[in-house]
Amino acid sequence: MIGNTHKKHLNIVLILALLLPFLTGCWDRTEIETRANILGIAIDVSEDNQQMHESEVNHMTGIFPEPNKKLIQITAQIAVPGRIPLGPESGSNGSQKPVWLVSTVGHTLDDAILNLQQEIADRLFFGHLRVIIVSNEVARKGLGDLNDYLRRNPEVRRTAWMIISNGRASKVMESSPQLERIPTLYLSAMMENAVSLGKFPRAFLGLFWSASSKLGQEPFLPVVEVKRHENTEISGMAYFQGDRMVGVLQPLEIGFYMAVMGIKQGGYSAFTPVPGQPGSVLVRSRSRDAQIDAVLDHGQPKIKLFIHVEADIVEKTKNTRSLNQPGLLKDISAEVSDRGKNTIKNILAMTQKNGSDIFGFGEHVRAKLPDYWNTHIKTKENWRKKFKELDVEINFTTTIRRVGMRLG
Amino acid sequence: METPREITFLQAAAVLISTIIGVGVLSLPVIAVKAVDTGAPLLTFIGTMIALFSLGILAALGKRFPRKSIIHYSEDILGVWIGRVGSVAIIFFFAVLSALTAREFGEVVVTAVLRNTPLEVTVIVMLALAAISCRNDLSTFSYIHLFYLPFILAPGLLIVALSLQNAELINLQPIAPVHKGHWFYGSLTIAALFQGSFIVTMIIPSMRHPARTSIACVLAIIVSGGLYLLIVIASVAIFGAEETKMLIWPTLELARMTSLPANVLERLDILFLAVWVTAVFTTLFSTYYFTIHSLSNLLRLRDHKMFSLFLLPIVFVLAMVPQNVMDTYRFILTIGLYGLIITIGYPAVLLIIAILRKKREDQHDREHAQKTP
Repeated sequence: MIGNTHKKHLNIVLILALLLPFLTGCWDRTEIETRANILGIAIDVSEDNQQMHESEVNHMTGIFPEPNKKLIQITAQIAVPGRIPLGPESGSNGSQKPVWLVSTVGHTLDDAILNLQQEIADRLFFGHLRVIIVSNEVARKGLGDLNDYLRRNPEVRRTAWMIISNGRASKVMESSPQLERIPTLYLSAMMENAVSLGKFPRAFLGLFWSASSKLGQEPFLPVVEVKRHENTEISGMAYFQGDRMVGVLQPLEIGFYMAVMGIKQGGYSAFTPVPGQPGSVLVRSRSRDAQIDAVLDHGQPKIKLFIHVEADIVEKTKNTRSLNQPGLLKDISAEVSDRGKNTIKNILAMTQKNGSDIFGFGEHVRAKLPDYWNTHIKTKENWRKKFKELDVEINFTTTIRRVGMRLG
Repeated sequence: METPREITFLQAAAVLISTIIGVGVLSLPVIAVKAVDTGAPLLTFIGTMIALFSLGILAALGKRFPRKSIIHYSEDILGVWIGRVGSVAIIFFFAVLSALTAREFGEVVVTAVLRNTPLEVTVIVMLALAAISCRNDLSTFSYIHLFYLPFILAPGLLIVALSLQNAELINLQPIAPVHKGHWFYGSLTIAALFQGSFIVTMIIPSMRHPARTSIACVLAIIVSGGLYLLIVIASVAIFGAEETKMLIWPTLELARMTSLPANVLERLDILFLAVWVTAVFTTLFSTYYFTIHSLSNLLRLRDHKMFSLFLLPIVFVLAMVPQNVMDTYRFILTIGLYGLIITIGYPAVLLIIAILRKKREDQHDREHAQKTP
């Protein structure tokens, strides 16, 4: 009997002991207010006249040598806990800024980030990083080292946007647009809306990485520029060779690039002279469709492009005669196709000169002509050479369907 | 040694599926792509067929010896002592497999999620969980698997389906780059990911209708192989072959860039990891259970419970052998590959010898079993 009660007691003790682990906390617990959420980073080449002294945080003279002499400057936008407005704004604390801009220098991205950590009390957290802005100057030198860090860090999302800035990147980070209280959120919303408005192809970080890894394709990134009212404009598309930026497409060229890629959502408009009449009409693309064929022609790869754009007329300048004439819309369509074809030819000539196959024609050759690829190309470098002399046949058709609410 | 026959055909399939789908799903695409580039989906299919073949061998053996596990009938076929050597090898291999599963799990968790938690803690928690669960009998074991199965499959399929919005078909072509890559080596590596299915040898003696083992095996391979194939297709179609090669865990990366529509969940990796922890647990549970169950079979013990904690330190030490993450993967690939000798080669030899020596379960035994249900 006594033995039994003892056993009972022992059981209770054991059960309590088993419950003990539930009382412990989480090893990786971090309170939300004790971590510094970085929302955006801007990366610039450090200005020489800027007498920023870099402490020896990650390197030491003689023992842990610096990786290179050039310094980069990063400007980080950190969310201030409690000041990020949730829900509708009350307007009472409008003077308090919801973000804190800090900047520091370093030899590599991680070097700079660790320097930043040395200067900031809370642990830096990259899980909410939305936008990485890189200045033109840095991008032209190559993004390899930056991307290595971003790839390794498990907190960084592949869906963050990387943006090239015309001029200093920190300036974009400093701009404070009125539509959104947090500038980086405005920027990322702007890019996402640009995609849905047909103004820019999807180009977030993960896609950039995929494209730069592919053997027959080169990546591209959006270019932005700060305008007068602290607003930012998508002013072009930077194209790369590997991780080095080699050129920029103009905004309207982005539209035609998207046509080649067959990105459905149309968005760009182009002033097209009306054939045989003064004045011009603004033709707006509604949807695009494209087919890319890779064929072997006399032992050489050849790309055949079939592009079709559905468009509307949205504006007519100089009181030209009525659009309601038989055959006129067809003539305008032909005109658009003709000019479109020339634009694409120009883009192609430019990218071919720079050896940057942003269209991914090489991928089509690799996928559809594997025998040719495996005997003649094999590597990315070979494709870059081959792309420079690639023969591309462009077939461009346009159909204008509607003219808006005005007849004639 | 009569075990109650209460595992149904569906439970057996569930056990196999959730055992096969395990920690390997994370690195599966990169293994396949490294071997044959864009041929990865085809390679996965071939690997799956090899796994089906090996399960066929095990099912055939199970048909010959419906009331015995491999530990017992190998002694009948090869003679007591040689059979025992084989059994020891199997048991040791499965102990190592459990250890490496726990270790790979730990590496992922420490790298990607809980970066401050020591590796030892994650590994030991997982092993302890398996060890404690192993104190159940086989019937509870199969119920647990059946219960978790939908939680493993449904979110996996959801992630694949949602991630496909970024897919590009061109990334999958050419489907069969025959003249390059290591097709033979690659398909064996993929087949090695199915090794957990070896536990079918432990289940057959407890199945209600051992004759239906082969249907359960085929069903299990279709479901698990199908999911594997979908995961490989999704990650190659989305990242492209070259990018996949640069990712240590492409499937995790897939979940990280996929969001539920309308931003309900911006990243699916948390959901995915929760699923994946379950999948790892069921795999570890099976391999660990198989290890201790076979050990008690070998030693002719009635109950395997005493081994459940006794083996824990041994498996833990085995898990700590690799020194770093690269080492861990080298171990996993090499041991997985050599393990095929044990999980495919050995049963094949057993089957051939059994056929040649006309070894079947004793006729008298069978009649006896029929008389006393």
